[in-house]
Amino acid sequence: MRFEVDPRRARPLPFVFAWAGLVVLGGAGLWTAFLGMGKWAPIVQFSIAAIQTGVVYILFMRLKGAPSLKLIFAVSGFFWLLFLYGIIMTDYSNRQGWPPSSVASPPVLETPAATHE
Amino acid sequence: MSVTTVERAAAGEPAEAEPSYLTAENTISSWLLTRDHKRIALLFFASITFFFFVGGMAATLMRLNLATPEGLLQPAVYNRMFTMHGIIMVWFFLIPSIPTTFGNFFIPLMIGARDLAFPRVNLLSWYVFNLSGLVVLFSLVMGGADTGWTFYTPLSTSFANGYVFAAAMAVFINGFSSIMTSLNFVVTIHRLRAPGMTWMRLPLFVWGIYSVSVVMLTATPVLAMDTFLLAVERVIGLGMFDPTHGGDAILWQHMFWFYSHPAVYIMILPSMGVISEVIPCYARRPIFGYAGMVIALMAIAFLSFFVWAHHMFVAGISIYSGVFFSLMTFFVAVPSAIKVFNWTVSLHKGSISFDAPMLYALGFVLLFTVGGVTGLMLATLPIDVDVHGTYFVIAHFHYIMVGATVSAYFAALHYWWPKITGRFYPEGWARFAAILTYVGFNLTFFPQFILGYLGMTRRSYTYPADWQSWNLLSSAGASILAVAYALPLLYLGWSLIWGRKAGPNPWRATGLEWALPSPPPEHNFARTPTVTLEPYSYDPEEGSFVTQEGTSHAR
Amino acid sequence: MPDSAVPRPEIQFATLAQQGDTAELGIWAFLINETIFFGALIFTYFLYRNFYPHEFAVAAKDTVLWCGSVNFLVLVTSSLTMVLGINAAAQGERREMIRWLVLTCALGFAFLFVKGYEYYLDFLHKSVPIVAYEAKPGEGSAGILFWVFYWVATGLHAIHLITGIGLVLYMLLWRIRRGEMTPAYYTPLEVIGIYWSFVDVVWLFLFPAIYLVGRS
Repeated sequence: MRFEVDPRRARPLPFVFAWAGLVVLGGAGLWTAFLGMGKWAPIVQFSIAAIQTGVVYILFMRLKGAPSLKLIFAVSGFFWLLFLYGIIMTDYSNRQGWPPSSVASPPVLETPAATHE
Repeated sequence: MSVTTVERAAAGEPAEAEPSYLTAENTISSWLLTRDHKRIALLFFASITFFFFVGGMAATLMRLNLATPEGLLQPAVYNRMFTMHGIIMVWFFLIPSIPTTFGNFFIPLMIGARDLAFPRVNLLSWYVFNLSGLVVLFSLVMGGADTGWTFYTPLSTSFANGYVFAAAMAVFINGFSSIMTSLNFVVTIHRLRAPGMTWMRLPLFVWGIYSVSVVMLTATPVLAMDTFLLAVERVIGLGMFDPTHGGDAILWQHMFWFYSHPAVYIMILPSMGVISEVIPCYARRPIFGYAGMVIALMAIAFLSFFVWAHHMFVAGISIYSGVFFSLMTFFVAVPSAIKVFNWTVSLHKGSISFDAPMLYALGFVLLFTVGGVTGLMLATLPIDVDVHGTYFVIAHFHYIMVGATVSAYFAALHYWWPKITGRFYPEGWARFAAILTYVGFNLTFFPQFILGYLGMTRRSYTYPADWQSWNLLSSAGASILAVAYALPLLYLGWSLIWGRKAGPNPWRATGLEWALPSPPPEHNFARTPTVTLEPYSYDPEEGSFVTQEGTSHAR
Repeated sequence: MPDSAVPRPEIQFATLAQQGDTAELGIWAFLINETIFFGALIFTYFLYRNFYPHEFAVAAKDTVLWCGSVNFLVLVTSSLTMVLGINAAAQGERREMIRWLVLTCALGFAFLFVKGYEYYLDFLHKSVPIVAYEAKPGEGSAGILFWVFYWVATGLHAIHLITGIGLVLYMLLWRIRRGEMTPAYYTPLEVIGIYWSFVDVVWLFLFPAIYLVGRS
């Protein structure tokens, strides 16, 4: 099925399918939170978020078939964030004395589950 | 979609009869609610000139205090003076200076457009700028912040007395003004160029503004988030930079300098664009290596994002990280050096006239070189460990920000004065002011290199008596510099009323802006020009030149 | 359709099409700035979660998952209704356009309503730093950083959403009432739609960051 994003010609149904896809992906992300994936959980969940972002950008925000300059603008923000994240981590990943151990919590003990309403 | 062709049927109306942008309509609301980029440029000019003098007053008090070791001001007051001097000069003068005045005025003219892409956003940018200015003035009048313009945590969040919250919010709001202006320029340059105005035919001033706008758009939001988190932490008493909760005070510095290092390139890239306009015109020959100059501008803009922690070598970052940043800082110097080389070669076999804009431009090249070379010294880890936090650093950045950027600002002011106002400035006085600026500047700031090397720390209201002679020399130079900066205010003001009237192209320059009357009409071009040539088609031997839309002019 | 309903391009543009294309480029340029703004905040989150995983997992247990999930559904649906509204504008279906835009507004308000209730629950759970906060066992002193992030991020997101709702209401009550947003020119609506979908995208990242930490 061709997904027509041009508003002058777009039919609603493809967008509804895209919406359904986003909801399913969101549900999948939610489900992974309960699977005990440890350090893989955030990687999977944020990858799902990235895929959802791609769907929203390309279909809802109509980047499909858009002039290339718009695509460059759309991607630039994320690209620049890579610099921020990557280069700052050159410091935190190997700084002596980071993270400070004095504020780390004591080892996890078997405490009875607190009741919160 | 990058081509604009606009025609206006001026039936029976001769072009000369059309009123200029200055006289078109003269009510207060026609100025305060204008959409004309040229009027908005003048509005910005008024605002930033005001802040230049406010920041200058703070500097005057500082240099008066430092003339003797006993000083003049209470230490806490001195701390507030250097903080407010930095905040006001950086965000309320230098960063907006060339882009919001000459950028706003000339970008549409240089690309053959009738206005910027988003005129109302442009006006909103001025109002947001003034709002942030009110907030910073509030902070100043109530006593000021005393953290240094860098707002380092945890001093700024937990321990500083003074109006840190107001100062930080002023910077936050100011960022929106930057973002609006830069967004406007980026989209305008992409979409509103006249037919034939390809990217590689753009004047280098346009490239300078484009590259600076890319940097402003991508760097400013990090500062916005950083100052926002600072404000939150200051108000609630704990936050992301709080060591008692596992936060890292140095994270503030990382995010701050992620913006503020590109910010210093924000301050220099438009100046480089100006110098690339002035030198070909007054040497009557094309710029050497146009493509290299373009690549250098974009390379500086891009590489500027990789060097920020050279401000943090001794802050406590990982040593390997420090090595990375030192290496990247060496790299970013290369395109700047290419530009200096190209400007110098652009003088070779030229027919040079030493008018005021050229004097300021030559001063720029020399002072920028000194500033740049001392920057390389600071990029070197062992040297920086010794001179970080001393007057060596202060001298380095003032050579760039004041020696270079402010010189370029005055070069632009004099070069484009006839176009903006329709009047000539008095050349004799202008040359005198340019030379006086150069003398006063060097006298003020060169001794500071020596003081830094000797060990005088920055941000200190006093110093050991041994160093008084250098400090006195610096303060004396500052008084000369003050005169040199005040002079243009006087003679330019004089010229508005008594200056000789100027024609469309008094300097016989090649850009599209010189094809219009001086001052230009409200909507710039009646008919969109078609560009056929690259810029700077000057012939030094024949003394002729060809404008970008193809009109030849003989000697 | 009367000629007077077709707007003229602004003086700096040659055609309406150029004006529309430029306006869309403008909002995408603005989104570069917004991406980096929220991205910087999310960086601080990733940094501290990476170094204090246990503390964050304990602190985040008190987030109200059902509120976050409902709000995810609300926002994703509102992106759909916004797009359908713009499509209707482009195809000249004025009544349909208004219906979809009103629904979008309503969904936006629904988000704020659920968020407001969630803030109330957070207050009861003592998850409001300084105002009403109690560190849970195992959270150490770093757990509060999670909640600082939570309040800053959701607060800024809400401000952006309120701005979006304001813009849609402005369209409905001013421009559309005057007869604008026709197939001849509907770009302002498109621009607002792009902004709206971006606010949705921010939530797509905030949702796993806030609600899916330490659930297993």
